[in-house]
Amino acid sequence: MANLKEVRIRIASVNNTKQLTTAMKLVSASKLRRAQNNIVKLRPYAGKLKEIMNRISSSMDDLPEGGVFDVRKPERILCLVYSSNKGLCGGFNSSLGKHLRLHLEKEYPEQLQAGNIDFISIGNKVPVFLKKYGILFSKEYNYLIDKPEYEELEKLATQIIQDYVDKKYDVIYLYYNEFKNAATQRPVHETFLPFEMDEDETNTQADTDYLMEPEEEELFKTLVPKTLKIQMFKALLDSVASEHGARMTAMHKATDNATELLKDLKLSYNKARQAAITNEIIEIVSGAEALKG
Amino acid sequence: MLLEIINPEETLYSGEVKSIQFPGQEGSFGVLENHAPMIAALQSGEVEFVTSDGKNEKIGVKGGVVEILKNKVLVLAE
Repeated sequence: MANLKEVRIRIASVNNTKQLTTAMKLVSASKLRRAQNNIVKLRPYAGKLKEIMNRISSSMDDLPEGGVFDVRKPERILCLVYSSNKGLCGGFNSSLGKHLRLHLEKEYPEQLQAGNIDFISIGNKVPVFLKKYGILFSKEYNYLIDKPEYEELEKLATQIIQDYVDKKYDVIYLYYNEFKNAATQRPVHETFLPFEMDEDETNTQADTDYLMEPEEEELFKTLVPKTLKIQMFKALLDSVASEHGARMTAMHKATDNATELLKDLKLSYNKARQAAITNEIIEIVSGAEALKG
Repeated sequence: MLLEIINPEETLYSGEVKSIQFPGQEGSFGVLENHAPMIAALQSGEVEFVTSDGKNEKIGVKGGVVEILKNKVLVLAE
């Protein structure tokens, strides 16, 4: 039986931990709400932009060539990885890191061997995780996680798009945790460049004849970078919301565990206390008996 | 007609207007009631409009695209 003082100290420490995790859970919940709000606000913009793109592309015969539309043999690859700056969020970062590793090992083993894959990170946890597999990140834009603003992200997006046009990379991927709901996130990757149109939704009502200014092709070309930036921004918002969701779930579980542990500890504390009292009584009684003779 | 100006983060303006002046990529252009359906790219500049109670207002944009359809004008600003 553990002694009373030891158990008391453990109870106090578990209690502290529980308070901490409860507080973190509440903080994450409120951050999650804000992050979800941002996603909701982006939705009409992204939806409308897509609709306009579809409308224009349906009145064009072919996608333009060159620049962001250029499809090349994937020699040099760029991976943009969204993760978090802070830990304590369950499998959020490690599952994304694993997803990235498996995807690259399966699709591009040669390029990975030859070191022709560059990595850029937004959030510093996945780089730390992947370091032990020999995957090193060349650039980090970790500040974007703390304050996900379109204007800041746009600079990075412009840079990346320019790199592609300059043929520094042949294919660019985004890796992030897709936000399903507060309890579920899914690590995914999507092709950022070369630019692809989703063909399945091109049957938007082509009944209205729009005046286009400038002409379709020119207009399309100016809108493509916007669409790409929105795609990158959406991934960022998804990732941030997922992070807070994951942390909230992890902290919720930790709080539950602490409660469970406290119950057990209290039980053994009471047992130890009872045992001590019983012992004392036995000593007194047997002492009295001995005196009676 | 209804004018709505949104950017990826928020709605900048939403309300009834009489006329609008856009900084189009191929030159400035005006939009009045019953304009033909149109999609146009904008360059950076100011969207100027007259609200239904006669006030002049301006909102700066850094480029974007505007869609005009059935007296509804939607600006995707940047």
